[in-house]
Amino acid sequence: MNCLNTYLIIGAALFSIGLLGVLQRRNLIGMLIAVELMLNGANVNFMAFNRFLAPEPTVGQIITLFVMGLAAAEAAIGLSIILALFRRLHSINIERAQQLRG
Amino acid sequence: MMSLFRDPILLAAALGTSLPFLSMAIILIFTRHNQRLSASISVGSVSTSVLCALYLLITLSHAGAPIQYEFPWLLADDIVIPFGYLLDPLSLLMLNIVAVISFLVQVYSIGYMAGDPGFSRYYAFQSLFAWAMMSMVIAPSMLQLFIFWELVGLASYLLIGYYYEKWSASQAGKKAFVMTRLGDIGFFLGLIILVLGFGDLSIVRMNEAGQAHNIPQYLLTISALLIFGGVMGKSAQFPLLTWLPDAMEGPTPVSALLHSATMVAAGVYMFGRIFPFYSMSPEAMGLALAIGTVTMLLSSTMAMATYDLKQVWAYSTVSQLGFMVMGLAAGGYFAGVFHLTTHAGFKALLFLCSGIFIHEYHTNDFRIIGRQGGRKLLIPMVCMTVGALALSGIFPFSGFFSKEAVLGVLANHPNKLWLFAGLLGALMTAYYTFRLIFFMLFPKSAGEVHGEHDSHGAGHGHDDHDKEHHGYIFWTMAVPVMILAAISCVLGFSQSSLEHFLLGQGTVPAQLAASHGTEAHAVAHEGHGIGHYALLLAAVTMAVGGILWAFFEFGRKRATQEGFLRLFPKVEQLFAARWYMDAFLRRFLDDVIYSGFTNLFTRNDRRIIDGGIDGICFFTIGSGRLLSFLQSGMLQYNLLVMIAAVGVVVLYLLLA
Repeated sequence: MNCLNTYLIIGAALFSIGLLGVLQRRNLIGMLIAVELMLNGANVNFMAFNRFLAPEPTVGQIITLFVMGLAAAEAAIGLSIILALFRRLHSINIERAQQLRG
Repeated sequence: MMSLFRDPILLAAALGTSLPFLSMAIILIFTRHNQRLSASISVGSVSTSVLCALYLLITLSHAGAPIQYEFPWLLADDIVIPFGYLLDPLSLLMLNIVAVISFLVQVYSIGYMAGDPGFSRYYAFQSLFAWAMMSMVIAPSMLQLFIFWELVGLASYLLIGYYYEKWSASQAGKKAFVMTRLGDIGFFLGLIILVLGFGDLSIVRMNEAGQAHNIPQYLLTISALLIFGGVMGKSAQFPLLTWLPDAMEGPTPVSALLHSATMVAAGVYMFGRIFPFYSMSPEAMGLALAIGTVTMLLSSTMAMATYDLKQVWAYSTVSQLGFMVMGLAAGGYFAGVFHLTTHAGFKALLFLCSGIFIHEYHTNDFRIIGRQGGRKLLIPMVCMTVGALALSGIFPFSGFFSKEAVLGVLANHPNKLWLFAGLLGALMTAYYTFRLIFFMLFPKSAGEVHGEHDSHGAGHGHDDHDKEHHGYIFWTMAVPVMILAAISCVLGFSQSSLEHFLLGQGTVPAQLAASHGTEAHAVAHEGHGIGHYALLLAAVTMAVGGILWAFFEFGRKRATQEGFLRLFPKVEQLFAARWYMDAFLRRFLDDVIYSGFTNLFTRNDRRIIDGGIDGICFFTIGSGRLLSFLQSGMLQYNLLVMIAAVGVVVLYLLLA
């Protein structure tokens, strides 16, 4: 049970759930959360490979820390964009933001 | 650069030819509003040119070989096209003709153009012409010659259209420009073919190679024929001759300088310049002979049917140019160039005299000038008669000698047809010249008819009452005219020294001088044998016959002054309409060029080129429309496509 495959499956499941969320949610906040899920799926992979395969046990952890930092920054930027969009459209529904339709 | 100042010959050549350019620039930029200063600058520069030209002529008259200064200008592979100066007898002679006549005409113009609002502009263009023409004359390569040839054409265009507010003048300028350009296309093509085939445009080397058979015969013939196109345009030979009579719209001194004495002779000069090259192509020489003959006869007939003073001289210029081309094409290098020289003198004289009459009576119709007492202007009338006698070829005047020389060459040609054409031309020339002179000397409606005179008609003892109120204006015009008349009287006697000067040395190799010069020499000059005297007699008979004929119809007391052409109205109409050449050209332009080629090209442009570009545009727009359907505006669809694409790439990488 405590082997690499378990963690990889959990990571893949997290990533897939996130992907589905990004593609399916119409709520921008929901999409942002789904992106966080995808990032965490990747993080699980890094940690798992770090634990079971890496000769140097800290590399994966450092990368994971970086991803978390990036995710925080991304969330901040994403939220501010959403805020700006809300000021303009009075909505955070992605279906309302279709002005670039060809 | 240092050698420029060490070598007086080079300095004189450079100074003489480039000062007029400087004067043009100064006049156009600085002194346009000061008419006196502009004229002084221009006349000053051209008189310096005269001094330089005379100095060169005197210094180099005994130089053995032609002097050539060149520096490479265009370099491409092994083709070198130089710029510089070529000083040989022919270019020195022509340089002097151009400089002297330019000078006289510019002095004359001080009086003729006095009070004209465009006075400074006129002198700027005159300087432009002097610069271009003199630089053309001493060009050592055909390309330099061509460049200045075109600049001369520009000066001609500007001066014909000098009275640009007059519709006919601006039209005539355009016509002259376009028609001469038509010939120049041939000229330029000929040069290109020569560069491609032979690789050198230096006049000296072209002539040497032509003589030594170093140029393939077909190449020589093609390029000679094409280059002759330039002669046809510039010297108003047969198909392209109608621009010259129209060019008389310009001021009269311009007609004297450009359109009779010097510029239109540039074609003949160029022919003489590469004469050794030409003479190696019998086809080109034959064509030139035929075209010269046709031109001479056609324009002589045209001159019989006009009553415009300047038009008569214009047609006569065309006819005499044809005569020069005949002389050259029949192999008489010296005869053609000699006729060019004398013609420059007496034709400038005739035009300048006409200018005085036109200035005085404000009309170009010589019947009206005659009736209003034109003969009372003693100086121009006498000088014009001198010019007319020279043009007709009467003994002591210059035209006699040069016409004899050309006819002598024609007599040596195996085909006697050309000789008869030449004699017929001489008859017609004398006839139309003295038709004009008698109209002016013996006006009928004036009532009083003077006693019988000999054909000179110069002896009227009228006092010049006009002189006083003309003042300096009259004299600035009269003095150049008198100088030219004196030149026309004495120039003929310099024939043997000129012949020695031209043939004894220089760019015409000795064997050419031997093959072409000597028969002409023997017959026309030295006068051995019966044939020469018969020819002399025939020529003089023709000239005197023409004068007597004109006298019978226009001069004698009971003359009707109508002319034999009145009996054939159709023929007169034909002559007056220039053999319908203009009408033909108009039809040709309308039917072939405009509705044929131009129409075709317009359609090609509209349908194929415009249509093609429009098609490309419509395709782009349409495909853009199609592609824009993909842009739904939904962020998540885009994301889906992106992820799918990444998935496909991953699959590909995994499977590959």
